[in-house]
Amino acid sequence: MAQIDWKNIESQTVTLAKTLLNGYAQQATQDARDFQAKAEQQIAEWLGDLAKGDITKKKFTSLVRGERDLAEMRALKQVGLAQVALDTFTNGFMEIVLNAALAAIP
Amino acid sequence: MTTSRRIFAQLSVFVCLFMAACRTISTYDQAAYEHATSAKVDALTLMDKATDSYSSHAKEIEALNLSLQKAYEYDKGRPLNQITMALWDKLLDPNRDLLGGFLREWKSDGPLLPKYVKNKKKQIGEGFDVIVGLESGKIKPSDAASKL
Repeated sequence: MAQIDWKNIESQTVTLAKTLLNGYAQQATQDARDFQAKAEQQIAEWLGDLAKGDITKKKFTSLVRGERDLAEMRALKQVGLAQVALDTFTNGFMEIVLNAALAAIP
Repeated sequence: MTTSRRIFAQLSVFVCLFMAACRTISTYDQAAYEHATSAKVDALTLMDKATDSYSSHAKEIEALNLSLQKAYEYDKGRPLNQITMALWDKLLDPNRDLLGGFLREWKSDGPLLPKYVKNKKKQIGEGFDVIVGLESGKIKPSDAASKL
């Protein structure tokens, strides 16, 4: 009777989860920080444009609203990338199980 | 076929079915990526002309709308692609303030100020980058199949 090494499967799965999910979380946090810093800088720039008369108040409002729309898009992208990470984990897990099962076949 | 080989064959089929059932988002699609990058170039090129009247660029606007529609419809036909569709909806909605809103403003307000066009180009370019970025972050079909 073939013996599957479940301990090995567990250890590889933990490593896979740590690598994928930690990597994803770090990337998402960094993206959010970068976006916030960039948005602050841009709004300050647009205020300068407004003060100089290079853009109207209406257009300034549109730019700020556009930034809000962009923030929503970025949040959605992160949801999508989280799903990608989840699917990658599932693929990796099944591959680990399959390889362990293969190794157990005499 | 030996018993162990039969078990392996059955396990492989199970794994393949399980993986297909567990997928939560579409895999990477080269054509979708190209549609989005091409639409971005078309949109930003046209936006440069928004300091002129809308009517003087009617044909180019029509061509851009066609390019956007192609990209949108292509993505709409892909399974598990709801997030990308939500991104397109935000970018193209005339009641929001990205590309759809920009085209609406251009049409209703007439020629736009150069500084505003420059700022909006940057913002809308980033909107396209979000769509392209999600697509390129998806699992490649060859990786999804992996060794199975």
